[in-house]
Amino acid sequence: MTHLSPLSVPYRAAQRSVSIAFALVFLAFSGGTAFGGILGGLGAVALVGFAVLAIAGYEFAYYERFEYELTEDTLDIRSGVFSRRNREIPYRRIQNVDISRNVAQRLFGLAAVDFETAGGGGTEGSLRFVTYEEAQRIQKAVARLKRGDTSPDAPEPDRELLFELTPRELGIVGALSFDLRLPGIVFLFATSILPIVASFVDVPIPTRGMAAGIVGVVVLAFFVAVASWAAGFATAVVNYYGFRLTRVGDELQYERGLIQHYTGSIPIDKLQTLTIEDNPLKRRFGYATLLVETAGYAPGAENAGGSNRSRRGSEAAIPLASRDRVRALVEEIEGVSEPTFERPPSRIRRRYVIRYLLAVGGIVGGLYGLNVVFGGVPWYIPLGLIPVAAVAGVYQYRHRGRALTEDHFVTRNGFWKRETRFVPYYRIQTAIEARTIFQRRWRVSTVTADTAGSLSIVGGDAAAVDIEAYDAASLRDELDDRLRDALAERREERRRERQATLGIEIAEAEGDRDETTAEAVITGDDGRIVDGLVDEAEPDTESEPDAEPEPDAEPEPDSENSADRDAEDSADRDASDVDADESGESNDEVAESSQFIWGASVTDERDDDADDER
Amino acid sequence: MNRLHPRIRLLWVARAVIFALLVGGVAAAGVLFTPLPIPTLAPVAISFVLLVVGVPYALLRYRAWGYEIRDDSLYLQRGVLTKVYTVVPYVRVQHVDSARGPLERLAGLASTIVYTAGSRGADVSIPGLTPDGAEDLQDRLKRLAIRAEGDDAV
Repeated sequence: MTHLSPLSVPYRAAQRSVSIAFALVFLAFSGGTAFGGILGGLGAVALVGFAVLAIAGYEFAYYERFEYELTEDTLDIRSGVFSRRNREIPYRRIQNVDISRNVAQRLFGLAAVDFETAGGGGTEGSLRFVTYEEAQRIQKAVARLKRGDTSPDAPEPDRELLFELTPRELGIVGALSFDLRLPGIVFLFATSILPIVASFVDVPIPTRGMAAGIVGVVVLAFFVAVASWAAGFATAVVNYYGFRLTRVGDELQYERGLIQHYTGSIPIDKLQTLTIEDNPLKRRFGYATLLVETAGYAPGAENAGGSNRSRRGSEAAIPLASRDRVRALVEEIEGVSEPTFERPPSRIRRRYVIRYLLAVGGIVGGLYGLNVVFGGVPWYIPLGLIPVAAVAGVYQYRHRGRALTEDHFVTRNGFWKRETRFVPYYRIQTAIEARTIFQRRWRVSTVTADTAGSLSIVGGDAAAVDIEAYDAASLRDELDDRLRDALAERREERRRERQATLGIEIAEAEGDRDETTAEAVITGDDGRIVDGLVDEAEPDTESEPDAEPEPDAEPEPDSENSADRDAEDSADRDASDVDADESGESNDEVAESSQFIWGASVTDERDDDADDER
Repeated sequence: MNRLHPRIRLLWVARAVIFALLVGGVAAAGVLFTPLPIPTLAPVAISFVLLVVGVPYALLRYRAWGYEIRDDSLYLQRGVLTKVYTVVPYVRVQHVDSARGPLERLAGLASTIVYTAGSRGADVSIPGLTPDGAEDLQDRLKRLAIRAEGDDAV
């Protein structure tokens, strides 16, 4: 059991005191002086002092009663001053370990660590605060323990720098960012404050006020635009300064941030979807953004605000890079390159053009209505948008597409904000086909592949929009099929890995006495299965080299039967262990698929044994 | 393709009626307690329109609904204006609920809700089952899900 960093006591106390003391001082000076002059003021100071002491005491108790430990298979956190909470988080469930440090924390050498799991979407455990070194140690240790590697001095997995944001790119990211909060504030200010001001100032509006007003609005708009751009620039630079993405074994690690520094890890096998995002400007200059998401959590999604974490979908895994680099990264992470897309049927072009024309028509109609009521409204101006609508419709059509690659369902949608989504088949949760009443007229459908990702909550699912209705029906079934095939394949792979390690373990357990036993397990098992259960024969050679701990020189025992019997016992034992690990891996459904070869052979054998004994 | 229990129509029609009456009631209260010059018949008209739209909609909804328990996935189709076809592979089923709301209990019906880890997980609910049928379906889906071995949910 480890405590937090002792420095966390003064830091937390200070952090809490600042906000409380602020409120108290305000209260005391407004209330205290009114009541009793100097005496009241003194009382207020005493009160503040007392509060600070109480906080310090509480934080010390918090420190004293907060303990964590990295056990062999869980992260244990015991916390709580008044009500205690013991929490054990299995490493397998931890998706991300995030470290963040703001300026003050960096000064003290402290860091906040957050553990995210897939469930609930929230932070499952957090350490406030440990030393930075400890935070890094924890991050590494969790990654290591997740692999099931318990020896602390195991070799570090290879680090490979995937991406580093160059200052030039950082500049471009900033240049392309706008902080939309500022115009909002100004708008709020303008609508609520200005009328009041105007009523006081009493400007003679009818005469020269109109022109001055328009100039004023234009100047203000320009100013706001520049300011929001500057704010966006600053935010982007602060957020993405020093952005690096590293591959560490089977995890992606990112770090970023100028003032508040973040480090986080994303396990690659928990990635749900990858999205390449761009807009006309980025396309023109050959840049793109890469977004990744894991289940229930999008890295970097928390606001720069720190503890106030609002998850508004994924921010960039790669904020900006040249298109080729982004493509290369997708290929590196997911092993898929951008396919050629199949577009919706060409008649759909007309649909989009009509849709945009209807929108223009709606605006014109609305303005015309206003014109009738109030008069003097130039309602015909939006008619100039008609060619734009036609072009927009065609462009929307052009940028829409879908593709089924070997392992991925890829969709592309949007012109202004074009998103290309890569969904591995084995990440699909459900396949949904929807046809609105309008789509039915055009005989098209939209097929959506739902995943457990967090972006999809805000409507960013991978969707093949407006594809032929008869294609849609087969596409959704195809997705379902491919999902199951991909899952079976993955499981098979994992089983093979497990078998390999199992073989080694058995061999180690049995020792020098009869190493042949372990061999027999593997060969015997596989042999039988190849005969009995699996159609596509799995060649022995495929699993043997992994499984065999000894050089080939070891002769195959002739008395396979006895060795087999021995092997069976150990296999039985190990298989049941495995069963206990994997939730609900039942032996009786084996014939259904090829993925339970272990369970299968074991059950079969048990039955045979029973027969023999009879 | 399995249809829902025909009595679900009764339930949905009842819901449409209740909704129409509620909105009509609120409108009536508005007429009574605000000084605005709203015609007295307005609430009645609103209720009437809601009924005329709502009741056929409920009936159409019944006609559009269907589900199928396939070998390795649950298949649903539904929707009047927007037709939605959903395929839920059993591998992805997290857990299965059967639920009975107050109205459903009154009508002697129940529904089964299938949860996946997907962001639209709770979307998959099958209404209009008999209580036994719902439990049956729940049980069956549970077994199918276990058989399908969804060992990693996400």
